Amino acid sequence: MQKRVAICAVAQIKNDPNLWYARFQNMLLECFEGIMQQTKVSFDMEKGIRTVITCSDDVWDARTISNNGMTDVVGAHFRGEEKMAQESLNGLGYAIASILSGHDDVILYMGHMKESQTESRNMCTNLAFDPFYCRPLGMDFVNVNALQARAYMEKSGVTEKHLAKIVVRSRQKAKGNPFARENEAIKEEDVMKSPLLADPLRQLHYYPATDWAFGMLLCSEERVKEFTDKPVWITGYASCMDSYFLGDKDLTSNFSLKNATERALKKAGIKDVKKDIQLFELCDHAAYQLPMWAEGIGLAKEGNGGKWIDDGGMDEFNVNMSGGMLNGNPLLLGGAARAIECFYQLRGEAGKRQVKGAKRALAQSTYGAAGQHQAVVIFEV
Amino acid sequence: MAHKKNRNVAIIGVGQTKHSSHREDVNQPEMIHEAVSAALKDANLSIKDIDCIVHGNMELFEMIHQPDLWHVLGTGAYGKDSIRITTGGTVGTTLACASDNLVASGMYDIVMAIGFEKLQEGHTTGGITNMADPLWFRNLQTGALTGSTAYDVIQEFGEDRAKRAAMMYRIVMDKHACLNPNAHRAFGLDFDQVETLMNTSPQLVGELRLIHMCSQSDGACAVIFACEKKAKELSKKPVWIRDHITIHREETFNIFGYHKDFPVLKTHKFAAEQLFKRNDIKNPLEYFDVFEMYDPAAWWGLDWLRDFFFLKGDEHLRLVENKEIMIGGSMPINPSGGVIATNPIGATALLRVAEAALQVRGDAGAHQIPKEVKHALASGFGGTMWTVLMMLEKELSW
Amino acid sequence: MEYWGVKVEDIFDTMNDRFRPEGAKGVTAKFGYDITGDGKWKIIVSEGLLEVIKTDDLSDCAAVMVCDGETFVGINIGKVDAANAFTSGKVKIEGDFGQFGKTAKMFKKYVPKKAAMSTRDYILDMFGTLVSRFQPQNAPQEAVIVYDIGGADGGVWTAYIKDGKCELKEERAEKFTVKLEVQEAKDWVDVMLGKVDAFSLLSAGKAAIVGETQLALKLGEIFGKYQDPMASGTPEQELIVLKKIISVDQKFSTGPVMGKFLNALKEKKILGNKCPKCGRIQLPAREVCAECRVRVDEWVEVGPKGQVRYMEYVYYASPDPLTGETRETPYGMANILLDGCQGNDTFAHLIRRDQIDRIKGGKDDVSGTRVRPVWNEHRTGSIFDIKYFEIDE
Repeated sequence: MQKRVAICAVAQIKNDPNLWYARFQNMLLECFEGIMQQTKVSFDMEKGIRTVITCSDDVWDARTISNNGMTDVVGAHFRGEEKMAQESLNGLGYAIASILSGHDDVILYMGHMKESQTESRNMCTNLAFDPFYCRPLGMDFVNVNALQARAYMEKSGVTEKHLAKIVVRSRQKAKGNPFARENEAIKEEDVMKSPLLADPLRQLHYYPATDWAFGMLLCSEERVKEFTDKPVWITGYASCMDSYFLGDKDLTSNFSLKNATERALKKAGIKDVKKDIQLFELCDHAAYQLPMWAEGIGLAKEGNGGKWIDDGGMDEFNVNMSGGMLNGNPLLLGGAARAIECFYQLRGEAGKRQVKGAKRALAQSTYGAAGQHQAVVIFEV
Repeated sequence: MAHKKNRNVAIIGVGQTKHSSHREDVNQPEMIHEAVSAALKDANLSIKDIDCIVHGNMELFEMIHQPDLWHVLGTGAYGKDSIRITTGGTVGTTLACASDNLVASGMYDIVMAIGFEKLQEGHTTGGITNMADPLWFRNLQTGALTGSTAYDVIQEFGEDRAKRAAMMYRIVMDKHACLNPNAHRAFGLDFDQVETLMNTSPQLVGELRLIHMCSQSDGACAVIFACEKKAKELSKKPVWIRDHITIHREETFNIFGYHKDFPVLKTHKFAAEQLFKRNDIKNPLEYFDVFEMYDPAAWWGLDWLRDFFFLKGDEHLRLVENKEIMIGGSMPINPSGGVIATNPIGATALLRVAEAALQVRGDAGAHQIPKEVKHALASGFGGTMWTVLMMLEKELSW
Repeated sequence: MEYWGVKVEDIFDTMNDRFRPEGAKGVTAKFGYDITGDGKWKIIVSEGLLEVIKTDDLSDCAAVMVCDGETFVGINIGKVDAANAFTSGKVKIEGDFGQFGKTAKMFKKYVPKKAAMSTRDYILDMFGTLVSRFQPQNAPQEAVIVYDIGGADGGVWTAYIKDGKCELKEERAEKFTVKLEVQEAKDWVDVMLGKVDAFSLLSAGKAAIVGETQLALKLGEIFGKYQDPMASGTPEQELIVLKKIISVDQKFSTGPVMGKFLNALKEKKILGNKCPKCGRIQLPAREVCAECRVRVDEWVEVGPKGQVRYMEYVYYASPDPLTGETRETPYGMANILLDGCQGNDTFAHLIRRDQIDRIKGGKDDVSGTRVRPVWNEHRTGSIFDIKYFEIDE
């Protein structure tokens, strides 16, 4: 990538199990005001925000054109507003495209998801399957994740004990993150005894339902000084799509993540992912995914996830210092949460969980029952 | 701000399905594949040449969550970068704008935008009504049906003239649709039916009658965008994207006060003003050779001409009454037959861009306008009166 | 005689063409068919060869099938279940039952010849099969449906539905629930065959609905799908359309702002909130003023009376997205400028149905019809705590 795009500011509300007292508009408004206060950005047609990108989903909001309800609280009245109807990390990809194209200098990127609104997460994700074959079979993200977990654990020597270790660590790390969802402190035995959702996935192996909203301001390299002294640069973005039917793909394959990582690293001019990047935020919807994605981006050797955990890989490479998705971010917004952690870390504002001297960070996100769609973003200061 | 762009982008291929209310013969990925294959064939490319797929439609129309996952069977996104970006009725033009941005940014050289909808698989009016806030307006809204524009035009120009002009507009669109083999509805209406139809077609809301309203179609459209270097290598007739603008407005329709001291700012007019100002176009009616407009109903098509072209008084009515909007007229509108004829919502606005590009290339077949098309305009409409405009050019000359 | 467009002799005449020698391996026998009222046939099977003769002498046959023409044709074209016909005695086998069973494998399925059906044939067939396609579970208790099909091939039929039964008469009922008027019979055939959608005809003014539109829109459920007889027996793939109703329970939070607005409705109060910058009053109350991009904190009580500025006169039977029920039509959805509001600060709500013809919109300083809310006795904090607005007189 020849030019860089800056993240100037981020704002978020605390991840919460059930914001029953708030509409998503209330959640977004707090973030919107946070960005306005930090950056003093305007909505001037020449110099200000002309385009707002939002992220939300029609099925989860139970609302056709879910962004329609966001327009007012994200300042988009008589401005452009476009909805990333995919995992939120892709919204960053689209935001940088809008800026690098020259079409916009400044982009406000906002997203919300209120998982507590639906009575059944499984029914929502069941709708991500074709109505003829997979849907009637009852597939949803949990039970398909379980199929993948079984296959991956077999391949990579990942045990129940490893999974328990990942979950306990996630909760410990999240304690240092003031915006993290507050969960009970647990021990490894609790994880191993927690109820089965779909064998081998247990309740504590799976991210808990969460409500959250965020905002970010991005701008071109030329204009960054107007909004911040401490920009975090996005230097690479890529995504990749895998096959749809489970039988068409090897469940343990990291095909799409490997491709996305390779392309993002190439754009950022990074050769050695282990040496050149000091911090990794991975979207682990379920515990088994942490080592699996670590293999995909090249932190662990393929088929070696179990050993990699035993060898202390998670701490050696500073993986999921935020607590990760596993501690609780809404499904669609895991990527944005990862990006925001990278932002704090690279600015040296991560408090107790700060990784000293971090210069580069990688955020990964996924969507689809078995990680079909993958996205990777590289950050730099 | 003067318009700037990191690098130039051109449309080098377009494809669409036959649109109809009866596509039970294909499932969603199969239908999408028809459009994708057609676009690749048009561009003389294979799927290997595409770097990124941009996908869009409305999830709740067909009740498929993140349908790009399943649709990969038809889109060809396997192994590629792909994003999904949607904005309601405007989504098709949003896909085009996003593709333009993605290519212009330097991130991708060739991008394919795919818009689709199988409206027969859901309940369209119910689906649109679900866009309203569940706590209040969802109980009151009737999908995209409203008689308010008919009311406004009748108030301003009198019942007889207004109703005639709207029906003239409708019949012109049908005449155009009859020339377009892909159009969904082509009835073979004639101008001598104006009087009958304007009084006998079933009423939906106020003076908005069934004949005025757009269809509910199944169909897909795919458009391929390339950077300047690739476009010049690969295409004999690249169609250049000059600029685009997206203007949304607030959720509430607080536009019915009808008081002269409280004028209502309209998105179409605002978008056109901003876009034409920054591209230094003083008289859009003179500048553009053809306009593919997202006209969800004849009343809107008629009324919006005024907003897009900065017309005064009854100029927009006269354009229609004098048949200047017909193929062969001074400002042909929707030679394809427009949205009233064909409306697979997620594809509809992309079809405007695709059809405008075909006009610039001179490849629109029976519905090609007779004069040379150097400058074309395409629009998208959706949400609570949202606007997207895209300008297409034959030459890289601005 | 002809049954479903097929004659008994058509079955026998095509037997030679449909004969499968591999299915007749090792069979050497004579079989008879006594088709009551249509005649008798004998087939002679020998070393993979077949001979079919029309003869009254079936005395040398190993087995004779006895049945009427309708049953025989029905079994051959798949309209009658063969096993049921045997069980019920409609088909009898005289002689060696086991031998006769061998004929089952000897012939390919009979496919009726494709002779073109005229528009008139279709129209007659469609109405001829209408009663058999009646689905009482989807039908109203009582209804009279008139089909007025124009053109030389058309005619007038009336379907009388009562208590789960349907009767069709070729007549024009003067009193009806709904009447379908189609100008050209050909168009109606195209609709029934799925070549054209009914809405297109209505749009183009080639068809009209008089009376209860909602009932007309349900005709596709009240009567089962018309099967094109010309398409029967063809080996084409059957296309399946999967019908599903998808519903996922939701709980929508109101938040503090919408919550305050809805709570006030319980107390028969309409609360708007006023933008600190531009002064506009928002109804219902919303978190921010989109125009000014600021939080809106000041609350004002407005109305409850006001004037109509614009009313949507809705004829379309819009489904209530919460219940799926269609609304009674026509109804009026109005933008009401409540007392205390100005400019475009209107409030959207319904108008009492029997008063919609009397509503006039306002313009500039000319007031529209004055209206007042009619409150629901049982109020829950919903937009329908106001049933509707009625004329304030």
